[in-house]
Amino acid sequence: MLKIAKDKLPQLLQAWAAGARVFVPQEKDGTRVFLPWDGQGKLTLDEGNTLEPPKDLFFPRTETMYRYQVQGQEAGVTEVPPFDAKMVLVGVRSCDARSFAIMDDVFLTKGYVDEFYRRRRENTRVVALACTEAAPTCFCTTFGIDPGRAEGVDVQMWPLADGYLLEVVTEAGQELLEQGTGLLTDAGKEEIPAAAKPGLVVDIDGVTAKLQRMFEHPYWTAVSRKCLGCGACTYLCPTCHCFDIQGENRGNSGYKFRCWDSCMFSEYTRMAGGHNPRPSKKERLRNRFLHKLQYFPERYGKFACVGCGRCLDRCPVNVDITRVIREVKEVTL
Amino acid sequence: MSSLQEQMRARARELLTQGAVQMVIGWEKGTFWYLSPPAFITEPGECDRLVWDEFCTNNLAKYLLDYKHTGDKIALFVKGCDARGIVRLLQDNQIARERVYLIGIKCPGVKDGRQAAALGEERRGEVSPAEKCRFCTHPEPVIYDELLQEDGGEAIREAAAAAEGRFAEVERVEAMSPDERYAFWTAAYDRCLRCYACRNICPACNCRECIFDRSQSGWCGKQMNRSENMFFAITRAMHVAGRCIECGECERVCPEGIPIMTLNKKIIKDLNELFGEYEAGVDLEARLPLGQYKLDDPEEFH
Ligand code: SF4
Ligand code: SF4
Ligand code: SF4
Ligand code: SF4
Ligand code: SF4
Repeated sequence: MLKIAKDKLPQLLQAWAAGARVFVPQEKDGTRVFLPWDGQGKLTLDEGNTLEPPKDLFFPRTETMYRYQVQGQEAGVTEVPPFDAKMVLVGVRSCDARSFAIMDDVFLTKGYVDEFYRRRRENTRVVALACTEAAPTCFCTTFGIDPGRAEGVDVQMWPLADGYLLEVVTEAGQELLEQGTGLLTDAGKEEIPAAAKPGLVVDIDGVTAKLQRMFEHPYWTAVSRKCLGCGACTYLCPTCHCFDIQGENRGNSGYKFRCWDSCMFSEYTRMAGGHNPRPSKKERLRNRFLHKLQYFPERYGKFACVGCGRCLDRCPVNVDITRVIREVKEVTL
Repeated sequence: MSSLQEQMRARARELLTQGAVQMVIGWEKGTFWYLSPPAFITEPGECDRLVWDEFCTNNLAKYLLDYKHTGDKIALFVKGCDARGIVRLLQDNQIARERVYLIGIKCPGVKDGRQAAALGEERRGEVSPAEKCRFCTHPEPVIYDELLQEDGGEAIREAAAAAEGRFAEVERVEAMSPDERYAFWTAAYDRCLRCYACRNICPACNCRECIFDRSQSGWCGKQMNRSENMFFAITRAMHVAGRCIECGECERVCPEGIPIMTLNKKIIKDLNELFGEYEAGVDLEARLPLGQYKLDDPEEFH
């Protein structure tokens, strides 16, 4: 176990930044998000979860897939250069670390590997930071996530009053800490601080089985009435991964891009002829919850929610997934 | 006299029991003490869910559009700003007046929920009024069928009516150099997720088919980048020009904290200067500044 003093942390980030793009929670215009570390920014590592999840580092909001051009009878496609920068993601909470495993299921398994995602993901080292305090909106433990230790990361950190404890988890993590020689000291008798205990807990046992019988239930009408049909909950969710593919064409050339999309939008399911199989927010909100709590568990054996609480924090009308889970379990079929 | 909340529950129960309305839209207590989200009540027995407290911020007017094509009559509680939202919808022929029953609340002002969350419940008393209430000129509903009789907020209302600085932030941005202004707005809208919460809550946004739901048209592409985001920002703002009632809901619901009201207020300020003072959603009969043409209309635009 190693230790770094709080005021030495920027130097460690600097050391990592020599060989990689380092992303770490920083404050910008009143929001806290993962931003590239340039040695100047205002670090806000200790204030819990970021407003936006770090998912756009692996799955950018918008990304070009290929370019094309037509000349006379000739048409050609130009591939975009593959992403090959190294990234280090520092200060990832346990909930977001679990979300990476969920995204991996989507983009890397079941017979298809998404190269855009894979390149970014494999080029990234993750340094997790344990939570010793939970926000009122946190409910990670509901999904068996330990706020005190993240899954699938390279280095685990814990906050101390005057610094951080660091523990190597993987070989890649070992290399990262070797780059910090001189800044890191032996932790000696320092104790790992106690993990946060989120007060919000919901019993999810049996929720998938119940939902399987609830597709036509009037509950969805009632729960969706207040929903605005905006994309705030899905865009801020670390596990939402829907995208659209469209083209930008100018004359004889153009490019295809993909960008985030949201099942809360009417356009998402609108067919070419104008028919919409999810015509109102009732069907759209139902889809969002069924995807997280039924379809994903059916396909991948785990829930597609990590209890980060972002949707609960930012939904303008307090559509609360924990309440939905509770109510789903209570309604009569 | 009973509290406003008790009156609300009693009236809702009466209206539903008599069958005068099929639904009552008000507010209920949410997950946390600082949240009072919209509530939709259809059964008399459910009326005790209704609450009235300082976090009943949500403008309820827009929800009427969800019931536009039903035959239901709907009762709605309206604060001052909610009532102006109703006037906006009526002016745009979005809903027939007889389809809604408006129960007015003499609004004592609501509080800033996000600040409340940060302060914690022990300091509930210290939470500031919501930004919109500081400049509210019509805390009493401008349109209603009945008015609930309780009024706890005389002082807040008077302070609001006399408050200066409605355009202070606009003036601050106007004073910037063009480059600074560009940096200010692009930094703000670079964060925009294009979630459209600001549009969806807005009682001035009521097009049946929104330009932003038609990405195939090629007008506003779906890419989340500076150019498309700025196009979205400007188009949204111009589409509510002369129709924005300053309910502040767009800015409240924005998950990214983008200063949307500064943009709306800039346009209100310009409209006032160009076409004379106008307050949207106050007078049902008044023509909108951009909804009419006069031979002596000024032609310059800034
Ligand atoms: S649940 Fe909330 S955040 Fe999600 S679409 Fe509905 S109103 Fe928007
Ligand atoms: S559904 Fe909500 S709480 Fe669950 S992972 Fe997504 S944003 Fe977090
Ligand atoms: S949900 Fe859990 S892991 Fe995530 S920030 Fe909250 S306490 Fe930490
Ligand atoms: S633009 Fe904003 S302040 Fe104006 S009416 Fe719409 S939601 Fe209200
Ligand atoms: S609510 Fe905010 S983030 Fe969402 S579209 Fe509007 S300005 Fe963008």
